[in-house]
Amino acid sequence: MAFGIAGLRLWWLGRLIRAGGPAPGRTKGAWRRLGAELVEVVGQRKLLRRWQSGIPHALTFWGFAVLLFTIIETYGDVLYQQRFAIPGIGHAAALGFVEDLFSLLVLAAIGVFTVIRLVDSPSRRDRKSRFYGSHIGVAWLALLFIALVVITLLGYRAAQVNTGDFPYGAWAFASHGLAHLLQPLGHGANAALETALLLANVAIIMAFLVLLVYSKHLHILLAPVNIAFSRRPRALGPLQAPQNPTGAGRIEQLSWKQLLDLATCTECGRCQAVCPAWNSDEPLSPKLLVMSLRDHLFASAPLLIGEGRPPAGANGDRPRTAPLVPDVIEPDVVWSCTTCGACVEQCPVDIEHVDTIVDLRRQLVDEGRMQAGLQEALQKITRQGNSFGKSERARARWTRDLGFPVKDARKEPVRYLWFVGDFASFDERVQQLSRTLAQLLHDAGVDFGLLYDSERNAGNDVRRAGEEGLFEMLVEQNMTALGQASFEAIFTTDPHSFNTLRNEYPDHGLDKRVLHYSQLLDELLASSAIAVDSLGARVTYHDPCYLARYNRLTKAPRQVLAALGCDLVEMPRHGVNTFCCGAGGGRIWMEDSAAGERPSESRIREAAALGVDLFVVACPKDFVMYSDAVKTTGHDDRLRVVDLVQLVEQAARRPTPGARASTTPPVSRSSAGPAPDP
Amino acid sequence: MSNDVLVLAEHQGGALCTVTFELAGRARELADAWGGQVQVALLGASNLAGQLGSADVVFTAEHPALADYNPEAYERVLLSIVHARTPRLVLLSTATAGLDLSAALSVGWDAPVVSSVVGLSAEGEGALATAQIYGGKLLAEVELAGSRAVCAVIAGSFPAAAGRRDRPPAVEAIDAAAVLDGLRTSVTGVVTAEAGDVDITAADVLVSVGRGIGSRDDLEVAEELADALGAPLAGSRPLTDQGWLPKSRQVGKSGVTVKPKLYLALGISGAPEHVEGMRDAELVIACNTDAKAPIFDVAHYGTTVDLFDLVPELVKRLKP
Amino acid sequence: MKVIVPVKQVPDVVEDLELTADGTDVDREFLKFVVNEFDEQALEEALCIKESSGAAVVVVGLDEPDVDQALYGALAKGADRAVKLVGTGEGWLPGHRRSAILAAWLAGEGYDLVLTGVQAADDLDGQLATLLGARLGLPHISVVVRVDAEGSAARVRQELAGGTVVEEAVALPAVIGVQAARQAPRYVSISRIRQAQQSGAVEEVPAATADGATGFRLRRLLAPERTSHAEMLRGGPGEVAERIVELIRAKGLIPG
Repeated sequence: MAFGIAGLRLWWLGRLIRAGGPAPGRTKGAWRRLGAELVEVVGQRKLLRRWQSGIPHALTFWGFAVLLFTIIETYGDVLYQQRFAIPGIGHAAALGFVEDLFSLLVLAAIGVFTVIRLVDSPSRRDRKSRFYGSHIGVAWLALLFIALVVITLLGYRAAQVNTGDFPYGAWAFASHGLAHLLQPLGHGANAALETALLLANVAIIMAFLVLLVYSKHLHILLAPVNIAFSRRPRALGPLQAPQNPTGAGRIEQLSWKQLLDLATCTECGRCQAVCPAWNSDEPLSPKLLVMSLRDHLFASAPLLIGEGRPPAGANGDRPRTAPLVPDVIEPDVVWSCTTCGACVEQCPVDIEHVDTIVDLRRQLVDEGRMQAGLQEALQKITRQGNSFGKSERARARWTRDLGFPVKDARKEPVRYLWFVGDFASFDERVQQLSRTLAQLLHDAGVDFGLLYDSERNAGNDVRRAGEEGLFEMLVEQNMTALGQASFEAIFTTDPHSFNTLRNEYPDHGLDKRVLHYSQLLDELLASSAIAVDSLGARVTYHDPCYLARYNRLTKAPRQVLAALGCDLVEMPRHGVNTFCCGAGGGRIWMEDSAAGERPSESRIREAAALGVDLFVVACPKDFVMYSDAVKTTGHDDRLRVVDLVQLVEQAARRPTPGARASTTPPVSRSSAGPAPDP
Repeated sequence: MSNDVLVLAEHQGGALCTVTFELAGRARELADAWGGQVQVALLGASNLAGQLGSADVVFTAEHPALADYNPEAYERVLLSIVHARTPRLVLLSTATAGLDLSAALSVGWDAPVVSSVVGLSAEGEGALATAQIYGGKLLAEVELAGSRAVCAVIAGSFPAAAGRRDRPPAVEAIDAAAVLDGLRTSVTGVVTAEAGDVDITAADVLVSVGRGIGSRDDLEVAEELADALGAPLAGSRPLTDQGWLPKSRQVGKSGVTVKPKLYLALGISGAPEHVEGMRDAELVIACNTDAKAPIFDVAHYGTTVDLFDLVPELVKRLKP
Repeated sequence: MKVIVPVKQVPDVVEDLELTADGTDVDREFLKFVVNEFDEQALEEALCIKESSGAAVVVVGLDEPDVDQALYGALAKGADRAVKLVGTGEGWLPGHRRSAILAAWLAGEGYDLVLTGVQAADDLDGQLATLLGARLGLPHISVVVRVDAEGSAARVRQELAGGTVVEEAVALPAVIGVQAARQAPRYVSISRIRQAQQSGAVEEVPAATADGATGFRLRRLLAPERTSHAEMLRGGPGEVAERIVELIRAKGLIPG
């Protein structure tokens, strides 16, 4: 009967998920998907990143894979014959040992989970707990069930030892050990115990099966499925044009993969724990967003697939499901997201939160429902092609103060096309960095040019703010401009532009190599095209989300720092686990309403605790955000925000000494003393 | 046809607006050059006629429809006056009445009109008007050679002192009843600015913010400075439109005109509409990252340091 | 209720404005044109009227650079019809002539309300709302921040100086110069504008050969001379702050 209930539920779930829209490209690359299953499911890769909970989880997972043998044996015992042996394996001593070993390991894991849940309990830690908002009761129940499965298993095996029904020898050490304790009860009691525990074990497994399909523990079944259909090579990646042109206004307008995401969520809260919005007391928690959508999906089932679907209205329309925003999700939740991708990166079952959030935004943008700041930025980008609302003819004005002309790639061929981006072109603070980079490249003899007034905002953040039509328009304009230019490769200042040019423009015909300026600097230093003296500064480096997490670009900036002789002290959150500055996904254009500490301020405190002198960035938005944050947190006397290019400029040996005034204030030396001369 | 210059007196809350004296002063110069009279049309406020000593004659009209400003009633009375008196030039301001009436006079009286005038001088028999266009980015020089013309003048373009003269002018009451028959516009209510809020016109020091403030949160930065200076916070139209500041704090054309001893302009670009409301401040210090911002043309001191860098430094030094 | 919204394209003042050789107009060749910001407010208010009490909104523009984008944008926002009056020539068009062309078209159109921007950046010979109202012999009200249509009359809020607002009742038809709509102009997504473009719904109507001279001679345009300029304080934030505090102290305005 339990199988029947579970089967019906799974069949129902399957139909519900198929009520979603198409999700193209989710079945391509079978081998790669199989590989993902091995690494993510069998290997528990993402779970093991947090070893405290990852190891017990892996043990439980592997344990149950092993205990599957005992379950088959048990069912064989009950349904078929005593001392049932799995054909082909039999009662090998090794199997008995492994079964017993993992029984104990699973019990130990349950003990660790209990401690974790007690220590990180929402009733103690409120929003800081990653279980805040999760179903707590069911989680405890599941732990209890798992413990009972193992306890009854070991119990009846021990009783079997005493009744002589146990097929395994001394290698099944735990069963034999427990048998010693039970022996004094006598043969009759042990026989009764054997029967009772065996039946209890079967009953508990059945009950657990039912609990599983009706709770978050469904992930045991759906996680491998969801991972099989996740984006490859990583769940975090380029966005796609929406299947429904106006995004997702109602639950059935999400794709079946997005619905599968919802059903798969384990409520583990790893996403919530790393979310910059949640950590600054914004209303968004990726976990709660997914849970709300999932509850709504299940509640909407009668409208989507129900037999007793309400009859069609007079005009043939079916009653529709509720609008997702604001009925299911508050607008502020949708707009709090920085699209930093930390949630997707953490999620052990490859839920793609960012895609769903962007689809919700697309619907809001289509209806014109957005904050004034965002609206203004989008209008400026529509009109002037940049978020500053400046004349496009002013885009390359920052080059005027350079002592040399910068090539116009539309008029003469260049090796590198520099896609400068809005901040590096128009923000006065960042323009200075652009001039520094231009000067360095010029001195190093790099052949580069610009698109001048033909360059437009690349559209990465426009797209993530949900304005797909404007993104497409910008792509068309930029592709036209790029088509007029002759170049071998592109490099960008902005990691966001880098991301979309590298990963999303190829769909629109871009077939050139795209670099970030940190990579270019790395190459120039490695080839000694830029000769430097050691700086010996003690620094930390902030990985931009769109370099490190989205594009796995973490080495080049570190190699630059190493080449400059900097002593790099890593922040706890670095590399692919970097923490967002709060400006991504269009957030830089919106009001921040957070009651809590801003992400950029939290980040500065993290860096300040390291006792470094310099906070190195490689992103114009980071430069702006953190230059502000060191002031607002009162760390500006201890910690200075510098761009990678400023450090290179500082260390570079001048082509003609004294000919060029430094545009960068001197770097404070590390307290370790003067740097050794190379 | 005559060589007279007619000024529409604007009044609000029982007092003449400053711009009326500015216009009367310039009207005097022009009338003297042409050998004509200065005439002022004063509708619905005959009691204020005595203050218009710089005029040769004040035409007053009283009627229930003129008790409050009613654009249609004003238009009809003014048209009847210009048709009867045929002045060479009619001057209005670019405030609401000027926007309602100047172009209407042009159509109804068949006279050219120049909008947003900032300069006006006699040129032989005619006049040369200088007007702002394209948001003040350019000026237009316009020749008014004919026998009649209308100019809408931006407040603050001429000195008000020249229009204040302490002598009783001749007053001529006009019977407006006939032209005010069958009005299609009626005033049903007047809502004055939110009461209970600070009166920024009375403050010695004003900290004023503009578009450079990116978000409501950022206002806190400016508020802190205002507190340190014991000054109220004022702002330009974009901020009151956003609802970040109450309407009563808006400086400029559709807000209030202020003359504090110190006007600290933070992130204000200096659009003509704003400048109109603060150009007479004794000391204007402006902070804007755009070195080309027009606010620097009216400010006495300026800086292009980012306001978010500057203000904390100021607060540090001003806090006891 | 039928509401007509005349919209106008003006040079984007974000751009540097250069003059033609004879100095009487801006060089329009490389200029960017945007819809007059006050006309956007007028359109928003018209759409609000449509939503609150029902109305047909017709937006009308002259054949000016990028006017199609403005008209399609209006359709995408919810205007019922868009009309382009063609054959009006190039270069700066006096308000008098614009109002004459529109008045001739309006005569055959039938309407209850005309809502347009209170002014535009290139107004030199009067504002369209006033010119049009006077030419049509209709009541007209400028600097309006809200319009509610009620049968054969409209209730409007007109802003005077100092934040004073008068409420007026005006018999229809009437012409209103809108300063600001009751809410910020709505955003219309690019994909909606593209949809509107694909439906191709802008009607082209030949403009009447109306005359309408300014009656004055435009001698020249010129960049304003900077009669005075602020003394710029140089240095970092700290130094500048120090100077400013000195200036305030010198005026005796430091409290305490």
